[in-house]
Amino acid sequence: MAQYNISVNGEQHQVDAPPDTPMLWVLRDRLGLTGTKYGCGIAACGACAILLDGAEERSCQLPISEVGSKKIVTIEGLTRDGSHPAQRAWMENDVPQCGYCQPGQVIATAALLNKSPKPTDAEIDQVFETHICRCGTYHRIREAVKQAAKETS
Amino acid sequence: MSLAPSRTASPVTRRTVLKVIGGVGAGLMLGCFADAGRITAGEGSKAALAPNAIVRIDPNGDVIVTVMRSDMGQGVRTSFAMLVAEELDADWNKVKVLQAPADEEKYGSQQTGGSSSITSHNRDLRRAGAVARALLVGAAAKTWGVDPSSCTTDAGVVKHASSGKSLSYGELAGTAATLPIPTEEPKLKDKSEFKLIGKPTNRVDNHDVVTGKAIYGMDVPVEGVVHAVVARPPTIGGSLKSFDDKAARQVPGVIDVVKIGSGVAVVGLDTWAALKGRDALVIDWDRGPNIGVSSATLHEAMVKEVRSHDAAPAGAKVVAATLEFPFLAHASMEPMNAVADVRPDSCTVWVPTQNPSGAKEAAVDASGLPEDKVTVNVTLLGGGFGGRHKADFVSDAVEISKAVKKPVKLQWSREDDMRNDDYRPASHHSFQGAVDSSGNPVAWSHQVVFARGRGGRGYRDAGIMYAIPNAKLAEMGTDSPVRTGPWRSVDHTQVDVANECFIDELASAAGQDPLEFRQKHLRDERVKKVLNAAAQKAGWGTPLPAGHGRGVACFSAYGSCSAYVMEASVEGDKFKLHRVVGVIDVGTAVNPRGVQAQMEGGCVDGLSTALKAEITVDKGAIVQSNWGEYDWLRLNEMPELEIYVMDSGGPFGGMGEVGYPPSPAALANAVFAATGKRVRMFPIKVSELA
Ligand code: FES
Ligand code: FES
Repeated sequence: MAQYNISVNGEQHQVDAPPDTPMLWVLRDRLGLTGTKYGCGIAACGACAILLDGAEERSCQLPISEVGSKKIVTIEGLTRDGSHPAQRAWMENDVPQCGYCQPGQVIATAALLNKSPKPTDAEIDQVFETHICRCGTYHRIREAVKQAAKETS
Repeated sequence: MSLAPSRTASPVTRRTVLKVIGGVGAGLMLGCFADAGRITAGEGSKAALAPNAIVRIDPNGDVIVTVMRSDMGQGVRTSFAMLVAEELDADWNKVKVLQAPADEEKYGSQQTGGSSSITSHNRDLRRAGAVARALLVGAAAKTWGVDPSSCTTDAGVVKHASSGKSLSYGELAGTAATLPIPTEEPKLKDKSEFKLIGKPTNRVDNHDVVTGKAIYGMDVPVEGVVHAVVARPPTIGGSLKSFDDKAARQVPGVIDVVKIGSGVAVVGLDTWAALKGRDALVIDWDRGPNIGVSSATLHEAMVKEVRSHDAAPAGAKVVAATLEFPFLAHASMEPMNAVADVRPDSCTVWVPTQNPSGAKEAAVDASGLPEDKVTVNVTLLGGGFGGRHKADFVSDAVEISKAVKKPVKLQWSREDDMRNDDYRPASHHSFQGAVDSSGNPVAWSHQVVFARGRGGRGYRDAGIMYAIPNAKLAEMGTDSPVRTGPWRSVDHTQVDVANECFIDELASAAGQDPLEFRQKHLRDERVKKVLNAAAQKAGWGTPLPAGHGRGVACFSAYGSCSAYVMEASVEGDKFKLHRVVGVIDVGTAVNPRGVQAQMEGGCVDGLSTALKAEITVDKGAIVQSNWGEYDWLRLNEMPELEIYVMDSGGPFGGMGEVGYPPSPAALANAVFAATGKRVRMFPIKVSELA
């Protein structure tokens, strides 16, 4: 075990954990931030996406030892009230079915908009080709991303 | 912009129940759910359900609707609440949903499957709302000293037009709670009076989902919980010989290692410790009796069952075809899990299940406690698709908690989930059909062999949508050790998909357009309308770019029908999807937006399984273990998608499974239109077209 001081959703947390512990399990099991989901553990689905200094990161592939002073934002910290343009667009387009993949999809959208406020279809494809929605909400995801982009810019 | 508040109600705690009954600040708990026990066919008649199980109105005006079916993404929490709120004339913004725990005495069958939630419960839910409304009206009439029939209701308020008086449901709840529950059958609204039913409505859990507050099975916060994973036999029918856990116990964070029925459980401070501990186990498995079983041997065995078809009418043009379907995993986005807290005299489980009573049975068995000491709470389900009917993950969690005397969160890894599923069986189909000289179908013989154990039956009526003389179907089975179970639309995923591929072949043999051929021979006007609508919206018959093809397929079951027209082409060794138009008719849609979503989801499932996903068996083991090997459609592969919900005004039909079957079939038919080659095997590969 080693001790780490990490920044999650604007708060500093002290966590005792082996250095290879993926942030996914630190967030979920240690910090009680269960909005970040487990879907594969091998970077294949995107359910565990978080923001690391504003960029999308697969928390199942991010060992706690590599976080350092970078700032983590999870779905719970994106906004407290669901007012991020992506969150609003998700609700209005009624994107979720089971909803399980959607925190990851919303986080991916937030990261995309950070980088590219007016994403092209190709950019949207590139981000989401690595995100699975087993319920098949892709059509609405694309619509919601576009709406969120409109509201951001 | 107003942000939707959380729609999840807090459960009624003991204290609030007492308060409600006690009178001060009294709420109104009433309902009308006496008949649900006998509704679902095959469940048998259960004791009458206690009243007051469905709807509660709090003094603050909140309307709490208890939903006793599981929401795996089909939106039942929203549509059930709409049905109750409609008859109650509730203010939709005040409606909150509470998930019922497992309690069949009270709620009847809670099994969520067979697209049956709306079809079996719509009436009783509406009655529950109507009874509540009658009591609230009664309370207002009593307060004002007027005739109840002179009162009206709207959006959570009772009004008396001639005096201009009005009282909100919250204000009336206390008085209404003192009135006797009316004994006469409540009058339900006529369709023309619906305000909510039929209105596209966003689902009640959206806000919780997008803020990360939604609680799925693996998210349940339980004080002092430890985390567990289980090492299971790597082969089907394998078993544990012995294990050495010395190294596992050395892994930082590992708390305990225990042998349970399904294998060896490693318990850790967090899931990672448990996973690493599991990796460190040294296990000697008995590989069991099935190591000679593979997809190839199962295929051979299925083919062997096929008999020769009866001779087709003399002079007719005979068409023969075969079709293969693989095993499919459910692969819900949320892998199987359960939380259990077993104490000496109680057992509490939280589990995302489609089958609360099955989960309860498993918990009772595994805990050894009497039924009344066992509570099973149902969480949100991160997908289901039929895969959450089983309860082995509940047994796992309860056994482990009992052994370590702590609350346990059991997590199946994705690999565990994919390799220990109850799979959609593989199947082999043999067809023979014929068309006469005028192009009319005159024979149809379909034999299907499922890899799910011997059994099945001889020829019976094919149950197809088309008027074809002597159309018959024989369903058979072959020995297979692979566990199988219901998978979104069950046998329709094979039998009906295959039928819609073969009717296309008959159309070709008749030299006719596949749409016209269907229209000519479809028996049901309702299906015809849906098919026509899809064709018209898709511009059937209009020119396409070179190399593109259009395919069509339709489906009817669960009291609903659906159709797709799909456009596809082949580029190199890959298929490209261009456009999909789908139409669904569920009779009367409670929530058209939800119906549309299910059709979208069913369509994507169909495309994913037509193009990508398959489970294979090698040396007695499931080959695939994670996404990538068992792949699903991705956003960048999506065609243009248009889904239309047609309202034929008939009775409420099912919708969770209606979107699937015509999807792979329409795609296969589009592939034929594009390439001139027939699909003989799913998933479809360019190299295997015949
Ligand atoms: S859980 Fe990290 S990408 Fe799937
Ligand atoms: S909404 Fe269910 S997996 Fe995406």
